[in-house]
Amino acid sequence: MNGEAILPYLIIIPLFGAFSMPMVNLLGRKSREAWAVIISGATLAVGSAMFYSVWENRGIIVYTLGAKSPLGQANFPIRIVWEVDLFGALMVFMVTLVSFLAVLYSLGYMKHDTGLDKYYTLIIILELGMLGIAITGDLFNFYVFLEIMSIASYALVAFRNDTWEGIEAGIKYMFVGSIASAFILLGIALLYGQYGTLTMSYLALKLAESPSVTAKVALALFIAGLLFKSGASPVHMWLADAHPAAPSSISAMLSGLVIKIGGIYALARILFSIYGASISVKTVGWVIIIFACITLVIGNAMAVIQNDMKRLLAYSSVGQIGYILLGLGIGLAAYGSQTGEIAMAGAIYHTFNHALMKALLFLVAGAVIHQLGTRNLNELSGIAKTMPKTTFAFLIGAAAIIGMPPLNGFASKWLIYESSAIFNPILGAIAIIGTAFCTAAYVRVLYTFFGRPSESVMKAKDPEGTMLWPIILLVVAIIVMGLFPWQISEKIMIPAVKALENQLAYVSTVLGGA
Amino acid sequence: MGLIVKTTARAIIPLIGIFGTYIVVHGHLTPGGGFQGGATIAGAGILFLVAFGLDEMKEQYNKSLYSALEGIGGLTFLGVAMLGMGVAFFYNTLWHNGPFFNGQPGTLLSAGYLPIMNLAVGLKVFTGLVSALTTIALYRRWKS
Repeated sequence: MNGEAILPYLIIIPLFGAFSMPMVNLLGRKSREAWAVIISGATLAVGSAMFYSVWENRGIIVYTLGAKSPLGQANFPIRIVWEVDLFGALMVFMVTLVSFLAVLYSLGYMKHDTGLDKYYTLIIILELGMLGIAITGDLFNFYVFLEIMSIASYALVAFRNDTWEGIEAGIKYMFVGSIASAFILLGIALLYGQYGTLTMSYLALKLAESPSVTAKVALALFIAGLLFKSGASPVHMWLADAHPAAPSSISAMLSGLVIKIGGIYALARILFSIYGASISVKTVGWVIIIFACITLVIGNAMAVIQNDMKRLLAYSSVGQIGYILLGLGIGLAAYGSQTGEIAMAGAIYHTFNHALMKALLFLVAGAVIHQLGTRNLNELSGIAKTMPKTTFAFLIGAAAIIGMPPLNGFASKWLIYESSAIFNPILGAIAIIGTAFCTAAYVRVLYTFFGRPSESVMKAKDPEGTMLWPIILLVVAIIVMGLFPWQISEKIMIPAVKALENQLAYVSTVLGGA
Repeated sequence: MGLIVKTTARAIIPLIGIFGTYIVVHGHLTPGGGFQGGATIAGAGILFLVAFGLDEMKEQYNKSLYSALEGIGGLTFLGVAMLGMGVAFFYNTLWHNGPFFNGQPGTLLSAGYLPIMNLAVGLKVFTGLVSALTTIALYRRWKS
């Protein structure tokens, strides 16, 4: 299939869905829900077709807005380009998949809330912003999509505005997130002032030709802003409030997608594709590694002491972001070597796996909250008796996130452990410590779930179909991916790393060898 | 508000509306455009709200209509951007091939899809801002 022809529909379909939602809403509740499912389903179809096409052709798709070629009369790009390599395509697939499941889940989960036309519009806009970040090859376009994603998620975190915690978390997230976005915009402004271009690939060329202090300042601003967005320690505090306060379908998208697309993916893209040739990758790699180690330990350790189920999952997300950052950092510090490649493959693989696992865990948490009305773990003892399917799904998700061998989390964590142990044994030890904390946290939850049923739990039962099916699909995906870990790593993740590391191809595809 | 304010508002609101429309329509020729013009027209709406009060605004404002118009503004923008899908997304086929909006540069009917996009953005900004401010004005009461 021709990837270039279908690429713009990744943006067109969600935009169309979001813009037409106010009118579809006039037809009533059923049509609005059906519309949201149709739109996100169509986006999933386009996203998976795009992923397949990029994976099959092993090439980079370039799409120019406004004309056939990105170049003007001169020989440099003047138009906005969208550029998708295998890494970007994988992220597109991940975003469309989890978003579709979250929309499906919302049908049952959100039915007692009001203002749902706004909810579905925002959830589609959120998906749109993330898709835009994954496909764009233009720095300012990236910023616009980042803001679309961020503003939609501020609104969604504070969606339940009759609860005090929704408002509090929303305000905190908005203030912190706006400052982070301002950092990124300032970085872009500095780069534009210095080099006069906003196309990522042409900027990479300019940067390699004439490095400057401005570029380094801009890089520092990018790293700071994007670490904020990805929820790395010591700036993870908004995340621990935002994820519990949001509706669970939104927590699944925030934790599974937003922090990775807006944080990890953007960081990897900027570091590898723009700055790859013009900075000391070793220094930057170590900066990332230091933040990764702090994140890893703090996130997982804080997860152990939580009593609130969703807060525990939120801190666990911080911890897992630590692993992904560790892989990214080693991938940079050991750039071009086998170790670096494995570490980066582990990071990408873990990004994808964690999106599935954390979406599953948050959806399960949502089902439990929907049934029992409490997030306090102390009151949830023994739900294995009354909600067996939900508990089983949680068991699978928890085992996968710890990294039990038959499930998908094992392979991705193994790649990160292996490479960090080869790169520097101390980092390997820190990674293991993080996992020990993570295991403690999840075992604690499971111990509660399988305990003696408390009275409030006796009336609970498994959730309805629209909430159960996304959970089942994610469980199946986790188990099936767990059966073929090394094949997936060989066939998808390693090529994705090769595509990411091949900065020359990224630059020359747009410039056409100029 | 008092009588003087109301009478002045009666006189000024149409003028602001016309000036805002002028900015939107001439977006491709003079400074300004969809956002600036739309925000100006929304200023007329806000003057109405402030001068005549919330009760009068409640009678004039229709939530579904304004959200639908905002959606139509967005859809128009998207639809115009898709006109040239044969070449590329956002390809300005009206300018290159016609049949209209391809006049001499500098005249009103030039610049391809830009005037249509300005109108769409102007509509979206106007309805969006008026809806947002009316909603804030309608917000329950001062205490909880």
